[in-house]
Amino acid sequence: MTDVALPPHRSRTRDVLGVLSKNRLAIVGLVVLLLLGVVALFGEWLAPHSPTRTNIPNRLEPPSLTHPFGTDELGRDILSRVLVAARVSLQVGFIAVGLSLAVGVTIGLVAGYYGRFVDTALMRFMDMVFAFPAILLAIAILAVLGPGIRNAMIAIGIVYTPIFARVTRGSVLSVREEDYVRASRSVGASGPRIIVRHVLPNVMGPIIVQTSLSLAFAILSEAALSFLGLGVQPPDPAWGRMLAEARGFVRVAWWMGVFPGLAIVVTVMAFNLLGDGLRDALDPRQKSVIESRGHLL
Amino acid sequence: MARRLLAVLTALLLVAAACNDDDGIDIGDPDDTEAEGVLIAAISGEPDRFDPHLTTAYPSFQVLENVYDTLVQPGDDLTMEEALATDWEVSDDNLTWTFTLREGVTWHNGRAFVADDVVYSYERIMDEEFGAANAFRFESIESVSAPDDGTVVIELTRPTPNLLANIGAFKGMAIVPEEIVEDGTIDTEPVGTGPFRFVEQRPDGEIVLERNPDYWGGDVALEGVRFRPIPDATVAMTNLERGEVHWTDSVPPQQISALEGRDDIVVESVSGGDYWYMAMNIEREPFGDVDFRRAVSFALDREAITEAALFEAATPNQTAIPEDSFFHFDYAPFEYDRDQAMELLEGTGIGDDFSMDLMVTNEFPETVTAAQVIADQLSEVGIDVQIRELDFAQWLDEQGEGNFDSFLLGWIGNIDPDDFYYAQHHSEGGFNFHGYSNPQVDELLDRARAETDDDTRKELYDEAVKMIVDEVSYLYLYNPDVVHAWVPEVSGYEVRADSAIRFENVSLSG
Repeated sequence: MTDVALPPHRSRTRDVLGVLSKNRLAIVGLVVLLLLGVVALFGEWLAPHSPTRTNIPNRLEPPSLTHPFGTDELGRDILSRVLVAARVSLQVGFIAVGLSLAVGVTIGLVAGYYGRFVDTALMRFMDMVFAFPAILLAIAILAVLGPGIRNAMIAIGIVYTPIFARVTRGSVLSVREEDYVRASRSVGASGPRIIVRHVLPNVMGPIIVQTSLSLAFAILSEAALSFLGLGVQPPDPAWGRMLAEARGFVRVAWWMGVFPGLAIVVTVMAFNLLGDGLRDALDPRQKSVIESRGHLL
Repeated sequence: MARRLLAVLTALLLVAAACNDDDGIDIGDPDDTEAEGVLIAAISGEPDRFDPHLTTAYPSFQVLENVYDTLVQPGDDLTMEEALATDWEVSDDNLTWTFTLREGVTWHNGRAFVADDVVYSYERIMDEEFGAANAFRFESIESVSAPDDGTVVIELTRPTPNLLANIGAFKGMAIVPEEIVEDGTIDTEPVGTGPFRFVEQRPDGEIVLERNPDYWGGDVALEGVRFRPIPDATVAMTNLERGEVHWTDSVPPQQISALEGRDDIVVESVSGGDYWYMAMNIEREPFGDVDFRRAVSFALDREAITEAALFEAATPNQTAIPEDSFFHFDYAPFEYDRDQAMELLEGTGIGDDFSMDLMVTNEFPETVTAAQVIADQLSEVGIDVQIRELDFAQWLDEQGEGNFDSFLLGWIGNIDPDDFYYAQHHSEGGFNFHGYSNPQVDELLDRARAETDDDTRKELYDEAVKMIVDEVSYLYLYNPDVVHAWVPEVSGYEVRADSAIRFENVSLSG
């Protein structure tokens, strides 16, 4: 069987990358994320000091050459803590979003492709989950599971599942009526085969965009949960927890809150910039733009 | 079309959600004109309930302190003084105490206070099925009776030199009128005999009290008090600086030195009777091994832990009772000594990968701070500490079930040495969750609580405490100061070592 969708798909990927490379902000986001990735992988080696070693006589030191970001209320080096915490944030972000991506997309594909009763049952359940305010639901889940980083990932994963289910189902609804899907069905291809081979590749665009944006939200959620003491347990550093600890010291040691705060801002901004760029590049409604720009290349 | 509709619906839902959010945000009450002579006090938490015999929450007692009375109460130096009783006599065998009650006292509802109220209240506390939080303090009381309206007689099963502290140390043993128990309003609308009458608890949590014009203790200057729960110390302090509250007991320790130099805020502290400690679960290995517990005690630098948790506002202590008390025992066998700790650990046979958990609660952030320093210090001797931060309800559950390796917590408001040591370290003690058991300590604590001579009593306690400390039943860390702050318009307020908050002699100017 010839895969009619394949050739245009390939050239479109090239188009997408082309548009993306023209989007300076998206490139900035991408570069920042690559740097963050390096920090997340090698943070412990990059950190000039131990992130958990306390040194009470050395507490609340303002930024200096030895401690570029200053020290916290227990005399720990804030730069080291910010660097090491990058891993936690990205790890929680990726695993949580990976979880909601896997579950949400599967639900969306099944609901969208089979429709009828399956669709109603799955999507109403997703609506139910979606109806809860995200952070409240995450707190409730953590209240049941107990605090900690692993449970925080599960909680955030559950909270963002309905979004992926919705985005996927919406796209599937239009794709399943396309000629190539009908053709497959008419030659007797099974439902799962059609979903994986023909539907999924053609709904990837919105999902990729949603993934990038959800990563930003997941990192914010992790920060919020850690701020509330439900995420990473002390003394391990996490940006949200560092902010919570800094709260009582705003007057006496501004550096305690500013640097972890900046880390959150930069990370979330980077994911958003990349997500926006991807949306511009992948959105079907932008296809004409892609084509016209493609001619200019 | 379907997608479009979905998008519109989603947008509508979002708008609806946003509107709901707005409704849910409490922006305060702009019409809230503050009457003159009404003191606004920021307290750190919301009272859970107002029944003084059932609550164990400090915020509840902050309010109830000003509403209820006890038969006797701690004076400024924490010796027991008259309150609803003006006089008392002890029989020669030390088994019968006869209290003469104050005349002319009325309840806030207008009824006269009589001896039967005392009998009713004490029998309520002693009723085992009722489950009063402080029933254990009445354990040596055989019976309470009222031969006439102005006299109460307490019969004991054994001499109880600290009976006055047992029945009057704080408002958990308050005298309550039977009628509000019968009609079920005691938990929501307390009626007492104290300097202030309870008016209401407003939906935003604020508690309103008004002056009791018939107070037995003389004229109350303030027209009323409003207790405003503000959990965050930094926020409470900002409110105080802006003049939105007049008084607060949540003073961030890191700000004390800066605040002391200011003339628009008064900060005062006294060394208090509270203490904070670490306990290890003796029923689990290797914590049952006294050498292991001693090793931990040697491995901790209490000075650093104290400073980390509370800056200058606390004093390290290796026993429970603070320095300026008669019952203070000057005993500090654990000098911070890593080598000694390592040596002791060698003998306990714990492996290189030994790990223990340390349970703390965000209800008391200083436990979270101290735990991080403790974890770091213990890592120096090869003990890996996993900190478990729980909310307090869950924390208490885990403690009750013995589901912990170790925990950090404090004891607040103790006065008599029996309060400090019996329930915590006696094998039968109600708060001996960590499973300490030493027959010699049991015997000493039993004898000390019945000993009427103060000097002999102190000797008995010293002997018991030496064992408690040597065997690290509790690993004592420090005594915090009691630090309160108020605006200069407030006069007549005294910070008390027992953390009780009394506004009866306070006035407000300007």
